[in-house]
Amino acid sequence: MSTGLSENLSQDPRQRPTLVLGGKGFTEVTDTVCAVSERRKWPAIWYIAFACSLVLLGVLGACLTYLISTGIGVWGNNMPAAWGFPIVNFVFWVGIGHAGTLISAVLFLFRQKWRTSINRSAEAMTIFAVACAGIFPAVHVGRVWLAYWLFPIPNQMSMWPNFRSPLLWDVFAVSTYATVSSMFWYMGMIPDLATLRDRATGKAKQFFYGLFSLGWSGSNRHWLRFERAYLLLAALATPLVLSVHSIVSFDFAVSILPGWHTTIFPPYFVAGAIFSGFGMVMTILIPCRSAFGLQDLITTRHVENMAKVILVTGSMVGYSYTMEFFIAWYSGNLVEQFAFVNRSFGPYAWAYWTMFSCNAFIPQLFWFKKVRQTMLLAWIVSILVNVGMWFERFVIVVTSLTRDYLPSSWGMFRPTSIDFLTFLGSFGLFFTLFLLFVRFLPMVAMAEVRSVMPQAHGIVGEGHRPFGDYWPDSVHPERQRKPSPEEE
Amino acid sequence: MHTHLIDITKEKRFLGSLGQRLTLGGGVAGIVGLAVSFGLASTSEDGIHRLWWSYLHNWTFFLTIALGALFFVLVEHLAKAGWSVVLRRLSEGVSMTLVLLAILFVPLIFGLHDLYHWLHADLVAQDHVLQHKASYLNQTFFLVRVAVYFLFWIGAAFLMHRNSVKQDQSGDHLLTGKMEALSAPFMMIFALTTTFASFDLLMSLDPHWFSTIFGVYFFAGSFMSFLAFLSVIIVGLQRSGRLTGAITDQHLHDVGKFLFAMLVFWAYIAFSQYLLIWYGNLPEETGWYLRRQTGTWSSLGIVMIFGHFLIPFLFLLSRHIKRRPLLLSLGALWLLVMHWLDLYWLIMPEYDHALTAIPFSLLDLSCLVGIGGFFIAAWAWFLRRCSLIAEKDPRLAESLTFENA
Repeated sequence: MSTGLSENLSQDPRQRPTLVLGGKGFTEVTDTVCAVSERRKWPAIWYIAFACSLVLLGVLGACLTYLISTGIGVWGNNMPAAWGFPIVNFVFWVGIGHAGTLISAVLFLFRQKWRTSINRSAEAMTIFAVACAGIFPAVHVGRVWLAYWLFPIPNQMSMWPNFRSPLLWDVFAVSTYATVSSMFWYMGMIPDLATLRDRATGKAKQFFYGLFSLGWSGSNRHWLRFERAYLLLAALATPLVLSVHSIVSFDFAVSILPGWHTTIFPPYFVAGAIFSGFGMVMTILIPCRSAFGLQDLITTRHVENMAKVILVTGSMVGYSYTMEFFIAWYSGNLVEQFAFVNRSFGPYAWAYWTMFSCNAFIPQLFWFKKVRQTMLLAWIVSILVNVGMWFERFVIVVTSLTRDYLPSSWGMFRPTSIDFLTFLGSFGLFFTLFLLFVRFLPMVAMAEVRSVMPQAHGIVGEGHRPFGDYWPDSVHPERQRKPSPEEE
Repeated sequence: MHTHLIDITKEKRFLGSLGQRLTLGGGVAGIVGLAVSFGLASTSEDGIHRLWWSYLHNWTFFLTIALGALFFVLVEHLAKAGWSVVLRRLSEGVSMTLVLLAILFVPLIFGLHDLYHWLHADLVAQDHVLQHKASYLNQTFFLVRVAVYFLFWIGAAFLMHRNSVKQDQSGDHLLTGKMEALSAPFMMIFALTTTFASFDLLMSLDPHWFSTIFGVYFFAGSFMSFLAFLSVIIVGLQRSGRLTGAITDQHLHDVGKFLFAMLVFWAYIAFSQYLLIWYGNLPEETGWYLRRQTGTWSSLGIVMIFGHFLIPFLFLLSRHIKRRPLLLSLGALWLLVMHWLDLYWLIMPEYDHALTAIPFSLLDLSCLVGIGGFFIAAWAWFLRRCSLIAEKDPRLAESLTFENA
């Protein structure tokens, strides 16, 4: 069958690298992926991780119960920082939720075959991150039981949300994004659910996998519809990758607060979101690939590619910082200049420099091949990216609010222990969901991985493979010319 | 090889006599265009002053196309792209015109005083904002910066083109690795130089106005206009019998998709900038838009919304259109006109703040013919000796047999 290579880091342009290693064929790929959810005995590490996540989830539950039963006053939000941790955490989680759709939609349109090994788990992560994000604005409304007022539902009081408020646009943007990414995730999973159904031994498994695979039989007709739907959803989801975080950035940028009101915010937030999303994908997948024996599918090359995406998006974020700084000076606007001097040398300078080094400097380590290819180093950088991006939102929200135009209204933001615990608890929700996903669902898109293997294109053996990394790449018979005499 | 490829040695893949005709014709158009411009300008009152504005506008128009080409060459190397190999040499040719644009910048030095009022010492003396900016906006530093931008742009375009042509002879695949390695740092420098060039050349026409997204706006228009230009030259070359087998509807489809994506991206960036400034409603920012919404300028704004976004959006949405050379090039020409108008809308309202009507002049067209003629001539001249495809690129086979999903 295919080459039994154990590494695929070649940069030789004459041949596209193999994406699946270890001499795996279709069967072996299926076996490897299914083995993750089919194993009878789960590794102790999963149980330990799950227990920790459940504890954190409990913390979240307790904090929210306390919050709802007592009131928003349990948080540190207070004038002048009326927006504190909840908005910081909301933006942080929504940002993380950007990698999944980027990988499944944008990288699909760009025919990046390597995405097939990571798209499923990245999409799952997206949905869980959006779920975490959704909690914060929902509980921030105070009377949670009236949160549905956020939607423009006709009512006898003739009461409508303010359509000119970007907070309302957020409601639409985030809920659209959550819907489309869930749909994309589920639809892409149908062929794999059918595989699990066909292999299932227990009655319950057969029933549930059978139910959710919607009678998939793998016929040509099914595949034709599937691929067409996939392309359409990818095209529809691509603008969403840009729109959600653009609208989140409008929350800040439509105001006239120094440090918030600047025109680069929409693309800057989008780049930051993809940056943080890839950071989280990497943070999760590096341990997962070794814990579940997926090194032949999520190879070093995959990690390296992710590192490159982080380098590119991190540089875009660095570019935006530079533009903000330069224009703050160039504008000659004193309050704008003060906002940036205050960020870098004021009371929150520690947060600013944490953000700046984690986002603009540390990812630059990915220029070095050694850092991209050493799992531990790459993993550490990815965690620092997450830290940096949380601090970015903290810096934006807190520094601008605590010191705006009038020095007489300045103050400091003091988060409470409940603030910290709620944020920590949201990781509990995120990891609980993710660990359950790993336990019960196919965490690598088997069908898609199989389709990018050379065997899928009738190329068997160690032969030269001139056409590679894109899917599908078969050569249309009509376009093949008759061989010329000297070629024969 | 598992697949029998199109035999590119049987392809008409040199510009040959067409190149000579283009160089000659373009050169003549260039000389005539600029001579007519100068003639028109010197016979009318205030004509020379007006000439500089038309000249800047049209020079920027071709600069954006060339910068878009440089970006395309760099990004395709950076992404190790396969599909676009057959288009790369044509793009390299466009990026090499930066040499011409550097030369054509020289006359502009004499017009700077007419264009940038931060050079007027009397105005600066009364304006504390301009005094604040004087350490950045002054003639010496401005010229040094422009020189640095061009040094980098030309250097990058030249290195990419030279290595690529070298590979035509040697077939050395290591050259590909070299170009890929260069493309990463070049891309970073490209982002910064292009951004600051847009600030210096266009944003500082109104030295009070500022917008952090302006560099991205400039880039979006640049890349879009290059893709439009590329579509037009592909179709033109194929009509002359060149590259008819190597470049297929599959490649056109992808260029069309890219073009579509970039026109949407342009609209996204333009909308973001407008919405945030409109919503914030701060006089220091809105003044710039206010001028563009006064008098007949507002109609040009409407033309932008429909002509630069909605109409081509609907037109290029169809797969059918993107695969038909004639239809695609029609859409591309339309977008080139729109990009020209977009730059007009960026530049010309600063010509005279008292003017509420679009100061259209024949000079706008004669400069277009003049600089455009030289631009085409330079493109053909830089490609006069080499093949129009990167002949021995290791991924050429992939590109030749490329099939869209």
